[in-house]
Amino acid sequence: MDQHDTVVSMLGITKQFPGVIALDDVTLHVQAGELLAICGENGAGKSTLMKILSGVYLPDEGELWVRGVPVRFKTTRDAEAAGIAIIHQELNLVEDLSVSANIFLGRELRTSLGFLNERQMIQRSQELLDSLECRISPLSRTGGLRIGDQQLVEIAKALSLDASIVVMDEPTSALTESESRRLERVIGRLRSQGVTIIYISHKMDEVFRLADRIAVLRDGRMVRTENRSAASPQQVTGWMVGRDISNAHAYTPRIPGERVLEVHNLFVPWPGHARGYRLSGVSLNVCRGEVLGIAGLMGAGRTELLETIFGAGPQKWSGEILLRGRSVHFTHPQEACDAGIAMVCEDRKRLGVFPNLTVGSNVSLCTLSRAVRGGLVRRRIEEAMVAQSIRDTGVKTSGLSSNILGLSGGNQQKCIVSRWLLTQPEVLLLDDPTRGIDVGAKAELYALIDTLCRRGMAVLVTSSELPELLSLSDRIVVLSEGRVTAEFNRNEASEQRIMEAATLGAFNRTGHELPN
Amino acid sequence: MSPSDASFPGRSLLRSSEWALVLAIILAVAITALIDANHSYYFKPLESARDIARNTALLGIFALGATVVIIAGGIDLSAGSMIALSGTVCAATMLALAPAEMIGFKPVGPLAVVTAIGASLTAGFLVGTLHTWLVTSIRLPPFIATLATLVGLRSFARALCESTTASFTPTKSALINVYDPFFKTVRDNVWISVAVFGVLALFTWIILTRTVLGRHLYALGGNEQAARLSGIRTDNIKWFAYCYGAMTAALAGLFYVANESVAAPVNQGRGHELNAIAAAVVGGCSLSGGIGSVPGTILGAIFLRVVIDAVSKIIKTGADVYEGLIVGIVVVIAVTLGQLGHFAAGGRRLLPGSLGLCAIPTLSIFCGMIISMTAGARVGLASGLAALVLLGILRVWESRRF
Repeated sequence: MDQHDTVVSMLGITKQFPGVIALDDVTLHVQAGELLAICGENGAGKSTLMKILSGVYLPDEGELWVRGVPVRFKTTRDAEAAGIAIIHQELNLVEDLSVSANIFLGRELRTSLGFLNERQMIQRSQELLDSLECRISPLSRTGGLRIGDQQLVEIAKALSLDASIVVMDEPTSALTESESRRLERVIGRLRSQGVTIIYISHKMDEVFRLADRIAVLRDGRMVRTENRSAASPQQVTGWMVGRDISNAHAYTPRIPGERVLEVHNLFVPWPGHARGYRLSGVSLNVCRGEVLGIAGLMGAGRTELLETIFGAGPQKWSGEILLRGRSVHFTHPQEACDAGIAMVCEDRKRLGVFPNLTVGSNVSLCTLSRAVRGGLVRRRIEEAMVAQSIRDTGVKTSGLSSNILGLSGGNQQKCIVSRWLLTQPEVLLLDDPTRGIDVGAKAELYALIDTLCRRGMAVLVTSSELPELLSLSDRIVVLSEGRVTAEFNRNEASEQRIMEAATLGAFNRTGHELPN
Repeated sequence: MSPSDASFPGRSLLRSSEWALVLAIILAVAITALIDANHSYYFKPLESARDIARNTALLGIFALGATVVIIAGGIDLSAGSMIALSGTVCAATMLALAPAEMIGFKPVGPLAVVTAIGASLTAGFLVGTLHTWLVTSIRLPPFIATLATLVGLRSFARALCESTTASFTPTKSALINVYDPFFKTVRDNVWISVAVFGVLALFTWIILTRTVLGRHLYALGGNEQAARLSGIRTDNIKWFAYCYGAMTAALAGLFYVANESVAAPVNQGRGHELNAIAAAVVGGCSLSGGIGSVPGTILGAIFLRVVIDAVSKIIKTGADVYEGLIVGIVVVIAVTLGQLGHFAAGGRRLLPGSLGLCAIPTLSIFCGMIISMTAGARVGLASGLAALVLLGILRVWESRRF
């Protein structure tokens, strides 16, 4: 590789977060003027790597070179000064400001008197938007725009910096067909101006249409970098998932009982979104003593499915949900809870833990009324109840009255599982239960799920880690963009097949022929 | 204070921050007893204690309601106006039931009194329900909803007062005098209000620490979404909280009427909602919800009243002149002391950058002016200069350290 052509070099980048190694000795070279696609599963470290390049995070170890000079970006401003702009997956716009105000936010143009030079900012914004085929007024309120247009505002912002390196983090995840096409034309135009683009995506058709080279990350490591012409989509998905499956635990077959939960033709609308629905035509069932895995990439509708069953979804839905053969329509989690359904939510910190309550109170919350005698909560009964439950789930804590935030992520999660097990559910919904917890705690959770299942509980589990799902589940349903695209029995399922089904929606939608 | 102190069945009655408040109260009383030139704490201990007890009880009753609302993650700015409305409803009910007796300064009879009290508490329930409806169904932020009733209810109370007096008395009036012996007894016997406060405090404490409802209040304030996803009917919990806030204010309103022998919607309880919130905050409530306790709020209310009393004794002016200033300073100091650990541990600076530079003269001028108004110009000037020097030293020390 010619040294002069390398515009960015990331050498041996390592980044740790509490309990997780997000990036482990990652090396990446980006050539001037190319479009480099970075692929990987959820949590592979793609976004973290780009946040390091754009100054959001500092790496723990490793070096960053831009145009042959070692740099150290402490803030995004430093990165912008070096000509690097990032368009984040979650857009960073101030919704109540106008488009032009957003484009120049923090770098406002001023007149010689020091006042805002609105006229020039509006004119420059208009030019930038025109060059992006974006027909919105620079004066319109940003929050009122469609997601696709908001994304173009972000791109205009990057261009206003005269960025020569633009990072796009899954830019099409919220776009419609025509908006995606427009984005591709914009990318073509940027490239003709010599802009280097780093493009994060897990949609194979896009990657193979746009990229010059493809880099694949897996579990925080750089697996492979390959020219597009030398790779096929099947190979790339293989690299994305293909880790050694040595940690799969021994599976002794379970015998499922009668059907306890059935979902028929579930439709959940998504007003204001290009797709129009969060879930469409979803049907599945789960039996007592069975673990049903739900696979899908981010945005596929896994969480929405579980929330809808649990009565916690924001939208009205149509279709039918049968619990023990009876049609149910929960409007509040309490009803689901009373009917014997429990749900451990995805985002433990935001939706699970009560930071102001102790370990004991966090566990007893749903079933506190059982400890009531004569209108008052009896502490001894409550403590006995909690102690029994956390012994079953193996929570390690110094005491029931210690602070829940003092526990490790794994123990916090076990507390939340304990909370729900106390309600003695028949159906347990686990939404990505092992996210952000350490390996040991994961293994304990797997064992717990197996035990519960053998006692006759029906378990629905989602996970962003395929090996986990494969080792846990008796059956796996694959969701892609709100639809069921495949269902596998345990012996038919493989990471390759699931990943292909999970990315299927994207292929169907664009109708693009895959190069083989 | 650490969050773990907040709720799981309290092992001990008081937390460490609350013991600090007890200490601060004792200190404030001791200093007043020493400095006060009249030595009224020494010569008239019972009278002084009664004064403080009356004021504390009056503030404490609706500070307990504010505590419950704040723990549930809300805020009730309307308590002062609720006090005015409650008093007016009480007096207007009696006027409507027994106009001749009310005008003739005669007893109105127990039935009218009981009905009037019932009407006031019902008004509290209705206002609490209105707040909950605005917050949960209309989705107004609690600050906005209760800001609207803060201004709205006082005006409503005044209109109610004028139209009732216009109907039942010869002239319309913005106040209704209350002479019934029941209210006189309450006024003359301070310990009634203290006893009511005590019972209410115990009741609130039991609810917060020993019932499912209490636990759900803490859960709601700590993490509303998680509470809903745990099957808690969060709207119902909020309903309780806002009704409790409004009904304790209504109860306090009855004592205001008794103490002043008049229902005066224009001024009664004006601004007092902030004192209640201040008492709760000084007592350890977190305005982001989920943290707070009854003993804390009681101590917060006592501390506020003791300091107000101390200043009025020492500088011998009406307590009301400096009341707001004292409440403001006490709140800032109490919350700052609670955060000092963060400043030391997190490397945060008290006087950073150019803001810190400007804060130095600002604080010194305030300090100098307040002291010169209370203790004379010379002492004031000296204290202002001393503050300037001390803050300057702090600034230099901080910039060396970081």
